[in-house]
Amino acid sequence: MPSFLTRTCPPRKKYSLWLIILKFALLCFCLAFPLMAGNYYLRFATILFIYVIVAIGYDISAGYCGLLTLSAAAIFGAGAYASAITVTTLKMPFLAGLLAAMVVTGLISFLISLPAYKVKGNYLALISLGILEIVQRILNDWTSLTHGAAGFFLPAWSIFGLNLSNNARYYVIFFFLILIMLFEWGLIKSHWGRDFIAVKNDEIAASGVGINNRKYKVIALLISSVIIGIAGSLYASYSEFISPDTFGFYLTIFILLTVIIGGTGTLSGPAIGVTIVMIVPEFFNASPDLKQIVFGGLLIVLTQVMPGGIAGRLKERFRAIEDNRHIEDLGDRPPVSFEKYRVNADGPEYILEVKNLTRRFGGLTAVGNLDLKVKRGTVHSLIGPNGAGKTTTVNLITGIDKPSEGSVIFNGEDITGMEPYDSVKRGIARTYQHVRLFKDLRVIDNVAMGGRIYYTYSMAGAIFHSRKKRKEEKEAYLEAYDCLKLIGLESKSNFDPGSLSTGQQKLVEIARALCEKPKLMVLDEPCAGLNETEIAELSEIIKKIRDVGITVLMIEHHMSIVMGISDYITVIDYGKKIAEGTTAEVSVDPVVRKAYLGEEVAAC
Amino acid sequence: MQQLIFGLANGSIYALMALAIGMVSSTTGIVNFAHASVVMMGAMVSWWMMVICGLSYLPALFVAIAVSIVLNIVMYETCVKKLGDLQNNVGWIITLFGASIILDNIARMMFGTEPQAFPYLFGGKMVTVFGANIMLHELMMITIAVVIGVVYQTIIKRTRFGRAVRAVAFRPSTSELMGIKSEKIILSCFAMAGAVAAVGGALIAPITFASYTMTYSIGLKGFAAAVLGGFGNTKGAFIGGFILGLIEAFICIFVPAGIKDSISFVIMIIVIIFLPEGIMSAKFFNKNLSAAEKV
Repeated sequence: MPSFLTRTCPPRKKYSLWLIILKFALLCFCLAFPLMAGNYYLRFATILFIYVIVAIGYDISAGYCGLLTLSAAAIFGAGAYASAITVTTLKMPFLAGLLAAMVVTGLISFLISLPAYKVKGNYLALISLGILEIVQRILNDWTSLTHGAAGFFLPAWSIFGLNLSNNARYYVIFFFLILIMLFEWGLIKSHWGRDFIAVKNDEIAASGVGINNRKYKVIALLISSVIIGIAGSLYASYSEFISPDTFGFYLTIFILLTVIIGGTGTLSGPAIGVTIVMIVPEFFNASPDLKQIVFGGLLIVLTQVMPGGIAGRLKERFRAIEDNRHIEDLGDRPPVSFEKYRVNADGPEYILEVKNLTRRFGGLTAVGNLDLKVKRGTVHSLIGPNGAGKTTTVNLITGIDKPSEGSVIFNGEDITGMEPYDSVKRGIARTYQHVRLFKDLRVIDNVAMGGRIYYTYSMAGAIFHSRKKRKEEKEAYLEAYDCLKLIGLESKSNFDPGSLSTGQQKLVEIARALCEKPKLMVLDEPCAGLNETEIAELSEIIKKIRDVGITVLMIEHHMSIVMGISDYITVIDYGKKIAEGTTAEVSVDPVVRKAYLGEEVAAC
Repeated sequence: MQQLIFGLANGSIYALMALAIGMVSSTTGIVNFAHASVVMMGAMVSWWMMVICGLSYLPALFVAIAVSIVLNIVMYETCVKKLGDLQNNVGWIITLFGASIILDNIARMMFGTEPQAFPYLFGGKMVTVFGANIMLHELMMITIAVVIGVVYQTIIKRTRFGRAVRAVAFRPSTSELMGIKSEKIILSCFAMAGAVAAVGGALIAPITFASYTMTYSIGLKGFAAAVLGGFGNTKGAFIGGFILGLIEAFICIFVPAGIKDSISFVIMIIVIIFLPEGIMSAKFFNKNLSAAEKV
């Protein structure tokens, strides 16, 4: 069976041998390094490893999840001090210090993530900046605990009573680095990593495929903080002296820069970035001011010129070479049909009942006392002039917006005001008026995101690449591939969604919705921006979806498709229902004709 | 009484910073993280003009204002303009921090690391009001800040330019259709913010001494004040600055001095958590924002 499908990085396939050789050579070099290097370089390399750990941790929240915080130095410092105080003042062993660092940094991350669910990037940056400052004050002024600005001396580093030599310290830290890297690799190559990227790209769409945005943000910050805390603990034990100055604003900027240079949201980026930022200045005997100015300049230039960083640039380059052939080589997959997604027709006759639905925006009533019944297994169209409240209605049904009054009953269950990530589990899938695909994921990843509600493997399973994870990932991707095949876009599965036409992107959204195995599919203007041929194709697909028992609720302006495939039509205007019935009934309704064509004027 | 004036004087600086931050963020939606560095540059340049070039107070201030305006315009052109959509893109946070680092270190290279004494307005003369010794400089700080605030509000509310600013703040692309050059308006907001920054720098410098780190913590408090009032809400930001100054002045009765500086950040974090739109939104003015527009 194809194992490539669970890999998000196609260059691996083609250059896997070279990559393995490169990795092995790097590993050998790192292992043999203490034998050939002097004390200065050994120390340099050890500190470099510690900063790589910090950058990896920082990249998980800032790079993958898009939570740009500026408190990395504070968390690093908190970890270092927590560990130092445990080891020195409380005279506990190193591992207890490590644990203390993890606990303390985890708590700080909760403080940062408290408001993360309702505020945007700039507030998060401000909060973390405030926390950076508060931690600085605590380190400087709580002298009884932290020894203040004078610094903190630790005893020589020992693990299990064994004093470590310089070489041993190098290997211990290297061991931790490998552990953290394996952890990151397992996490990012699982649905967790893709979920983080989804949250970064589009929170509404992420919620629509079943991601609880707030939970994932908290988790990303927690993981990132704990990893930085581990690095802090290692740093304290290694350098045997820490002072508050080390953990100031400039360290935060340094960490930010390493991630920007290396590439945000990539696995190798942090390591590349730290190596460059630490080694390159060694060749120049520059004053610290000049170094900082160059750092600042790099931050300005790189963000605009090379947003993906070095690793991102490499990835792009490889992807351009990469073709799609290995997906076509799939071979013996049985042919798929929409039958696979057939929904049993048990439950009430009306799959969706909306009663007295009202939504007011200030003084404006966007939807007022709307009653709507959608019969199981039909295509039900919602039409009306622009601004009639169609999208608002759909948002109220799917939970993106909360109704002021009224109730929504889906399949006999009251889902009024339910969050989208819960309603998707009940079987409501939707597409959006303006395409909402995750732009940093490939097309097939996007479709597979639809099936993420069916994953059952745990985070531990993800990290240790458990058998369950491998099986589920493989199935999910084959499933996604089938969905793409059904809409006829399987040849695009390795593309970036941004490279597809609008019509294709809309189809990918439908594939993603189909992958959720829904009972009700809500399509918000699926034909907007499509040409006539594409509309014809789309209406065929919608018919097939209906024919396997999936109910379709559709907002549409193109009368040809509405009249062509709808079983029932509801017309709304000014948030009120003005007509309802079968296609034939509605098309001759005088009220509808008036709303659409205007008042009939007597000839004069 | 002394505490009150002291608090108001400090508050006036926070208010000026918050006002400038608000000017920029009302039209662009971004937070100018390099603002504190521009304030510092304003103070350093006016110090330089006065002490090295021997200019008197006002000409020095004008040079500083000019330099700050140029700095802010350059910053907009290099750090913000090319990023495109600023709402869904946090790149500006990074570039503006880059700019702030560059400014700080340029100042350090040009002016050295030693804090420099900066002359007070009126030579540091004291007056006695209600039995409290108050420096005239502090009274001037408050007066100037209030004047700037009132003038800015008048411009925004009464003039054609002000209407354009409000239009751009509400919806830049629509304003363009209405014949307003959004970019020009944004640029002039950056320029105004630069001018206010220089004035604020020159006013605070006698108290903090002029050095490249003088605005490091004041800058953060400027953000705290802006948060308190609500971003993009210049009136609220102004009030937020004064409130913050007062809270700081009176809280030191209860807490040790070392912790005092953290208080404003704690306040900021609490406000962000509970009232992310700032204290001016507490009356729930904009509670029913349209969710339909998001989709």
